[in-house]
Amino acid sequence: MSFRIRLALVGLIVMVMFILHNSFWLWEFDARIPLLFGFMPFAFSFYVGYTVLAVLAMRLIVNLAWPDPPADVIKLISDKEPSEL
Amino acid sequence: MINTLGIGILLLYVSVLIGFGIYGAKLNLKTSEDYFLAGRGLGSIAIFMALFASNITAFTIIGHAGFAYQAGYGAYGYVIGWSIFITPFTYYLVGYRSWLLGKRYGYATQPQVFGGIFNSKLVAMLFLILLLYYTLPYLVVSIIGGSLAFTTISDGAVPYWLSAVIIIVISLIYTIPAGMRGTVWTDIFQGTIFLVVAVMLLFAVAQALGGFSAITERILQDRPEMLQRALSPQLEPINWFSFSFINSIAVIVFPQMYTRILATRSSRNLKQVSIYYPLALAAIFGVSTLLGVWGSVAVPGLAGVDTDNIVPLLIHRFLSPAWMILGLVVILAVVKSSIDSQLLSVTHLVTVDLLPRLRRINPRQLVLWGRLLLVIFAAAAYYIALARPAAILSIAAFAFSGFSVILPVMIGALYWPRANKYGACAALVLPAVMLHLWYLGILPRWTTFGFMPVFPAFILAILTLVAVSYLTPAPPPEQREKTFGIFDKVFTGPVNEPGSGGQHKIS
Repeated sequence: MSFRIRLALVGLIVMVMFILHNSFWLWEFDARIPLLFGFMPFAFSFYVGYTVLAVLAMRLIVNLAWPDPPADVIKLISDKEPSEL
Repeated sequence: MINTLGIGILLLYVSVLIGFGIYGAKLNLKTSEDYFLAGRGLGSIAIFMALFASNITAFTIIGHAGFAYQAGYGAYGYVIGWSIFITPFTYYLVGYRSWLLGKRYGYATQPQVFGGIFNSKLVAMLFLILLLYYTLPYLVVSIIGGSLAFTTISDGAVPYWLSAVIIIVISLIYTIPAGMRGTVWTDIFQGTIFLVVAVMLLFAVAQALGGFSAITERILQDRPEMLQRALSPQLEPINWFSFSFINSIAVIVFPQMYTRILATRSSRNLKQVSIYYPLALAAIFGVSTLLGVWGSVAVPGLAGVDTDNIVPLLIHRFLSPAWMILGLVVILAVVKSSIDSQLLSVTHLVTVDLLPRLRRINPRQLVLWGRLLLVIFAAAAYYIALARPAAILSIAAFAFSGFSVILPVMIGALYWPRANKYGACAALVLPAVMLHLWYLGILPRWTTFGFMPVFPAFILAILTLVAVSYLTPAPPPEQREKTFGIFDKVFTGPVNEPGSGGQHKIS
């Protein structure tokens, strides 16, 4: 898969996450969905689920389009060893 | 009121911070990179906690809980929902490419990175001016907010001016000797404290109010509107949408956040932070939201700015005095972890981007100057925090929006080879001017089409960058090659070379 396609997929993931965050039609469910664990209304539990989705989305993005720098580029760009914290 | 155990906890906390300062004084930091960037050696845990602790301000515990008190559970999604994903995503989008350039060319700040990409001193200077312009008032407001909270939670025992002195002096104790290392050590320590204590506080308040389900039942009976976003006047969809362009995307533009990304040891460290960052952000704001909403039935009747006191009030009314001290420690930890990094980043910008233009300075002197400027900026911030001038407060009110509208230039510089210095300068200046005209009421509100000003300003920044770049000469090939040659090798080069550490995978 070319990097352009990978980048396009990343764009798609971002768009899906943005639409999910701005999913105003889901607000209708705020009063209908039962409380999660007896204390989380949908307005809150939706973002608990969204957090899990965000972790998965970031993992997918990392695997899709976040290559580590190749060895020769690392040699070029790192002219000294970083010190340990 | 405050028992021995409480005083012991407070003394232990302050002693640890002073210990970091004493240890830091033994370090031999020779270069500005050592001092301001921790030698670009931050590992995964260090960078995670450094970013998280700097990201979380007094607003998280104080302001956000107050907003949840008024707006209900929907405050969670409104304030932090989009950030949960987009903030770590910007660590990839902007952070990683900037980090690559930083490693290759030794860039240490935004003026250096973007001045370098566009080969323009004017772009560098505009970045410097805008970042200082928005960060300094934000720093002062952080000190004001933290000091007020400290005074409230101590029930007035510690006056406002003394709260400010305590917050600033403790921050300087470890920042002056150890620079970024000092702030990161304390970020790990303080970040852990406020995550752990905040969760403990949630459970303690829940227990005092009869348990999680009992409080929620009470909210269902007394304030059912708190459960429905559609019923909250604060959560208008157009504001919800606009807010996505303020809080979340501004974070990577904060100099204290951006610089820390440049200080990361490896690409793999940054990946791990980006993947797990949503969990920490969601946890701390989740606690704050629940406390705020519960407060609306436990301590009813607050309005306006008084709602910001809801967490201290819950502690006062429902928990034992020892919790007061834990509350003080959390407030101190939250406030100081952002103030020390803001102070250091402001000093960093002036020391490495402004001072060398004014006089010849060798690397050893840069560290000395950095330490001196830290004290000067801290003293200035203290006096401004005491005076609380209206101008500073009004700039801080739209500082987040100001940071946000810088982002299009940063993304354009890193992804679009045709972007040039003329487009960058215009796209930095024009949206900043428009933001002022809108926020200061000079332009009528209808000109934003009902959105918060940040949204049209953000779109204007994109359009200006594209239009002016196309209307003016393209950057010379060697200038583009300097930046995009590196990106081509990393992103589209051959995969799985020996020593690459596993292309496109995180392990």
